[in-house]
Amino acid sequence: MPSPIAINPVSPSQSIFKKTSKSPSNLPASAASYLSAVSQADAHARARSLANVVTPTSTPALSMSSSVTVLSEDSILREGEVKMYDNDDGLSYPRVPPTSEQSFTTAHSEFGHCANEEYRFTSQHPVGKPAPHQEEQDPPYYILLSTYISFMILICLGHLRDFIGKRLKPSAYTHLQPHDGWAPLNSDFDSFYIRRLKVRLDDCFSFPVTGVPGRTIICYDRDTHDYNVTLHTTGRRTRGLNISSYNYLGFAQARGGCADAVVESISRYGLSSCGARLEAGSLDLHQTAERLVAQFVGQEDSVISSMGFATNSTIIPALVGKGCLVISDEFNHASIRFGVRLSGASVRTFKHNNVKSLEDLLREVISQGQPKTHRPWKKILVIVEGLYSMEGSMVNLPKVLELKEKYKFYLFVDEAHSIGALGPHGRGVTDYFGVNPLSVDVLMGTFTKSFGAAGGYVAGKKSLIDLIRVKGHSGPYAEAMPPPVLTQVIASMASIMGVASEPLKTANDVTSTALASYPGPAPVHMLPSWLDLPPLLKDGSEGQVRLRRLAFNSRYLSRGLKKLGFITYGSDDSPIVPLMLFNPGKMCVFSRMMRQRATPIFIVVVAYPATPLVTSRVRFCLSAAHTKDDIDLILTACDEIGDWLDLKQGSGERWPLQQIMDRAVELVHMDMD
Amino acid sequence: MNATLEYLSYSLETLETGFYKLPGSQVLARYVKSSHQNDPGRTVLEVILLIFVIRTLLQSRTRADNSGKHFIQFSEKEIDELVDEWTPEPLEQPLTERESLDLASLPIISGATGPKPKLVGSGKTVMNFASFNFTGLSGNEHIHQKATAALRKYGLGSCGPTGFYGTIDVHTDLERNIADFLGTEDSILYSQAFSTVSSVIPAFSKRGDIIVADRSVNFAIQKGLQISRSTIRWFDHNDMKSLEEVLEGINKEIRKRRSPLTRRFIITEGIFERDGSMADLPKLIELKYKYKYRLILDETFSFGTVGRTGRGLTELYNVPASEIDMLIGSVATSLCSAGGFCAGSSAVVKHQRINGTAFVFSASMPAILSIAASEGIAILRDSPSILSTLQENVRTFRSILDKLDCITIPSHHASPLIHIQVRSASASSLLPTAVPPSASKPSNPTSALPRNLQVFDIEAEERLLQEVVDDVLAQGILITRAKRLRGQEISEVRPSIRLAISSAFTKKECEKTATVIKTSLAKVLSKRR
Repeated sequence: MPSPIAINPVSPSQSIFKKTSKSPSNLPASAASYLSAVSQADAHARARSLANVVTPTSTPALSMSSSVTVLSEDSILREGEVKMYDNDDGLSYPRVPPTSEQSFTTAHSEFGHCANEEYRFTSQHPVGKPAPHQEEQDPPYYILLSTYISFMILICLGHLRDFIGKRLKPSAYTHLQPHDGWAPLNSDFDSFYIRRLKVRLDDCFSFPVTGVPGRTIICYDRDTHDYNVTLHTTGRRTRGLNISSYNYLGFAQARGGCADAVVESISRYGLSSCGARLEAGSLDLHQTAERLVAQFVGQEDSVISSMGFATNSTIIPALVGKGCLVISDEFNHASIRFGVRLSGASVRTFKHNNVKSLEDLLREVISQGQPKTHRPWKKILVIVEGLYSMEGSMVNLPKVLELKEKYKFYLFVDEAHSIGALGPHGRGVTDYFGVNPLSVDVLMGTFTKSFGAAGGYVAGKKSLIDLIRVKGHSGPYAEAMPPPVLTQVIASMASIMGVASEPLKTANDVTSTALASYPGPAPVHMLPSWLDLPPLLKDGSEGQVRLRRLAFNSRYLSRGLKKLGFITYGSDDSPIVPLMLFNPGKMCVFSRMMRQRATPIFIVVVAYPATPLVTSRVRFCLSAAHTKDDIDLILTACDEIGDWLDLKQGSGERWPLQQIMDRAVELVHMDMD
Repeated sequence: MNATLEYLSYSLETLETGFYKLPGSQVLARYVKSSHQNDPGRTVLEVILLIFVIRTLLQSRTRADNSGKHFIQFSEKEIDELVDEWTPEPLEQPLTERESLDLASLPIISGATGPKPKLVGSGKTVMNFASFNFTGLSGNEHIHQKATAALRKYGLGSCGPTGFYGTIDVHTDLERNIADFLGTEDSILYSQAFSTVSSVIPAFSKRGDIIVADRSVNFAIQKGLQISRSTIRWFDHNDMKSLEEVLEGINKEIRKRRSPLTRRFIITEGIFERDGSMADLPKLIELKYKYKYRLILDETFSFGTVGRTGRGLTELYNVPASEIDMLIGSVATSLCSAGGFCAGSSAVVKHQRINGTAFVFSASMPAILSIAASEGIAILRDSPSILSTLQENVRTFRSILDKLDCITIPSHHASPLIHIQVRSASASSLLPTAVPPSASKPSNPTSALPRNLQVFDIEAEERLLQEVVDDVLAQGILITRAKRLRGQEISEVRPSIRLAISSAFTKKECEKTATVIKTSLAKVLSKRR
C-alpha cells in the first residue's frame, strides 16, 4: 500500500540534496573510503574513521542559525548501515533540504532536522485551571462484543488444539506435564495465554535492533516457518521511523555533546565503579550526579540507583513496613508492586486517577485503622505515577496535594516517564502543574527515558535520602551506577537546565542554593570540571528547543489522531499516545501494516496483561527528535490503516487528513474542551 | 378504564410477539413454562439465584471488606473527627549517630577506580582491596576502546525494555557468549546483578511450590524467596547432610499428605556472599537428581573468580554447567561491567523472557556495557594467567592471615572474597566453621535460624572491625567492612571485614597488604582482651 505522501526518492529536491551531500568539498578522504566500502564494511573500522574525522570543534549540536555549514555529511555516512546513498525509506534525509542559512549538526536519522520555529509548544498546565477530566471514550457495543467473541474463539480454539494435540502429538506436551517425578516448570494451564494467544503476535514484539534508538531505528528482519513458535533473523535489516523508544528528549544519540562527554568519561573513569555504594563503590561522580539531580527536581538531596526497576523495588521497603499502609493506583508499575510486596506493608488500590475513589478509600482506611486490631496506621504512603506509561494519563497532582493536606498521608510520585518529558523546564509533573516540588515527599524517576541513560533516582528531604542510602537494599548490596551512565545523566541534565556561568554566592550550602534557583540553570560548580559542553548545550537553548519540540509533537499527534476519529487515551500533553484497537486481531495487523509501508514505522502494540483484556492498544512514544513531517507520516499511515481496520470510532469533530496537516499549528494551540 | 385495559393488553401482546421474534426465545419460554408447571418453588429459587448472580457481578471487588465482620460503621462526622485525630509517624526515622557517622566516613573514590585509586578528601592514592575487581579488568584499555567505538554506534541508553525495541544485537551476542563460555544452551541478561536472582526465583517458583534453601543465602535470594510465596525449607549452611535430611523429611511429608506433585527447587550459592564459603557442587548435583529437585545456583561471586579460566564452580569441580538448571551470575563483579545473567536450558531462558519481572519491566542495559562484558569474557577465555594470578594472590593472603588466631576466616581457601571475623573470646565451640556435633538434634527446617545459633555482639564487633579498617586505611590500603542491612536480613550475619582480592596486584603487594592487615588486626583485637 504506497502512501500518498511517501517520500519520492527521485524528487528534485532530493537529488539536489544528494548532490550536495556527495560533493567532496568536505571530508573527501572519509567519503571516498566510505564509497569503497559501501555495503558490508567492518563496523568498528567505520566508527574509528568517523571518530578521526569529527574534531571537537565540529561537535554536533542542534543549531538553528549557525554560520557553520557542516551539512550532515557524517550523518549521511552513518546511514551506511543499510541503504547508504538512497532515500527509498524516506528517512535518511529531510524532505526539504536545508537552506544555506540553516545548518544541522545532528544526524537526521538520530535527531530530525526541524528549523520551523512554529512547530514548538510549551508543556504547561494553565495555572488556576482545574486539571481536565481525562474522559475515556468507550467504543460502540459491537466492537466490544466482537472483542469478547474474538477472545472466546481464541480460547476455545486453543483448548481444542491442546485437547487434540495431547492425543495426536504427546511429545510436544511433555515439557508441560509432570513426567518421571518432575513437575513441569510451566504447566499447560499457566502457559495457555502465552502458547495459544501471545504466540500469534510474537512477530510484533522483541525486535532485535541495532544502532541508536533515536528518531529512526534499524530492526533485523525476522521470519518464521512454524507460525511464530520460533523466529529467526533473515540477515536483512530495515530502517524505520521509531515511534516506540522512550527517547522523549532525543538524547539517544551516538554523537553530540553528551556522547562526547561520555567518551571523555570512559577515559577518565573507566566503565565500572566495581562495587556497591556503601562498600567502596562510591565515586565522586556519584556525588556530583546526585547533587545535580536534586537541583534539577527541586529537592534537598537525591540518591541514584543503577536500575530503574530496582529503584522502586529496593527503596520502598526502606520507607514503609509492617503496620503501614500503601495506597496505590491500580495501574501502578510492576516495580512499585514488587517493592510494596517486599516491604510487608498492607496495600489498598484505588481506581486509576480517580480522586474521588482515593478520598473514599482514605476516609475508610483512616477511620477503620489496621484490619482486625483497628489500631491506627503508623503511616500511609500514597504512590502514584506522574505519567502512566500505558494510559498516557497524568496524575491530578493539585487535587492529590489537596487531599494530602487534609488526610496527612505521605506522597510518593513515580516520575519514570514524566521527568524531562513534562513541564516548561522539563522538571516533570510538578513543573507541569506549577506546584512546589517540596510539597511531594518522595520524587522518584528514571534516567532511561528522557536522558538517554539508565537507572533511576529518588529525591526528597536530606534526612530521608540518608535513610534510604543506609536502609535501602541497593546501598550495601547492589552494584553502583557505572560512570559512563552517570556522565550521560549529568551532561543531558545540564543541557536541559543550562549552565549558570557565574557560581552562585551561597555555594557552600547545597540546600539553600537548590531551593533558591529552582527551576533555574545548573551552577557551574556543581558539574565536573572536565565536562566541556558545546555552547548550545551549555546555555540551555538546545534543551529548550528539545522540550518545546516534544511538547508540539505530543499535542499534534494526540489531537491529530482525535480529529481523524480515533479513540485515544490520556492527556494531550503526554508524549505517550495510546491509540485504542480493542480487537486482539487488529494488533498484529496494525503492527505489520505499519512496518511494511514504503517508509516503515515501528510501533508498539500492548495487550493483556499489561492492559485490561478488552483495551488492546498501540502505544506511540513521541520524541523531540521527530519532525512535523514524521508526525504527518504517522497520521497518514494511521488514517489509511484506520479505515481498513475500522478503528475510527471516536466521537467529536473530525477533520480530513490534509486539513489536519495544514492547520497543525492551529490545532496544537487550539483550546479544546 | 376500558381504553387503558385495551392499551395494556395490546402492549402485552406486542411485547409477547416481539419476545418470540428474538432468536432462542421459544426455547427459553418452553423451559420456563415446563419448569414452572412441574415445580413453582423451583422458579422462585431460580429467580433468587439470578438476582444473586447479578448482585455479585455488580459488586466491586474492593468493597468486599466493607461487609466484613470487622467493619465498623461510622457517620461522616465521626470519620472527619477520626481523620483530624490521626497523626502519622514521620516518614523517616532519623539515623542513629553511628549510622550517620558511618555514612559520612564512607570512602569516596576520585576518578577511576581500580587497583590503585585516589580518594576524595585526603587525595591519597591507596591500594584497593575493597572493590570487586577480581579479574583486574577494570581500567582495561582494550575494553575501553571497544566501548568507545560502540558508543559511537549505539549511543548510551537503550531507551526501552527488551520487548519494545530494547533488544540490541550486542545483548544477544553477550547472551550467546555467556552461554558458550559456560556451556549452557542459552542465557538471559538482566540489567542489574542484584535484581537478577530475586526475579529468577519468583519466575519459576510460585505459591505451593517447594524451595529448599541454604540458611546463609544472600539478601537478594532472600527477597526472591519472599516474593515467590513458596513453601520454604532451610538446611544448615553448607551442610550436605542437613540438606539430605531436609529433602528426606519433605519426601516423607509429601507421602503422608499425598499432596500433588509441585515444582521443587534447591537454592544455594557458589561462593557465599555472606562468608565466602563454597558449595559442594558434586554432592548438590547428586542430591538434586536423587530427590528430583531443580538447582538454582547463585554464582555471583564464583563466576569469573574460580576455575581455570573463571567459568566458576562448574569448571572447578568439572561438572557440566547444563546440570545446573538455573545458573545465576553477575556481569558486574568479575567482568567489571554491569548487570547479571541467568544461564540454563533454552526452555528456562525462554520462560524468563516473559515471566522474569525485572527482565520484562526494565530497560535493557546500555550497549557499551554489553560490549565491555563480551570483551571481558574473551579476555578471560584467552588468558588463564588472570585466574592463576588471582588464585596465587588469594593463597598469599590466606597463608599470612590464617596464622592469626584472634580471627576466624570462614571463607573457602580458593575464594577471592575473604571475610575476616572476630574470634569469640569465650567458648571455642561456637566457631562459625565448626560443624555441629552429630549427636545434637537437627535444626528445624521451617525456621531460617539454625539450632545452635551463634551469639555475638554486633555493635562491639563492628566497632572493632571498623577500627581496623580505619587503621589500615591510614597506611594506604582501602578495605571495607561487609555492610549489612541490620534488622532486614533473615538472620543476622556476624560482622566481618570483606577483602576482595584482585589479580591486578603483584605477589609482593599482596604480601605487604596482608601483613599490614594482620598487624592491625592483632593490634586492635589485642586491646580488647
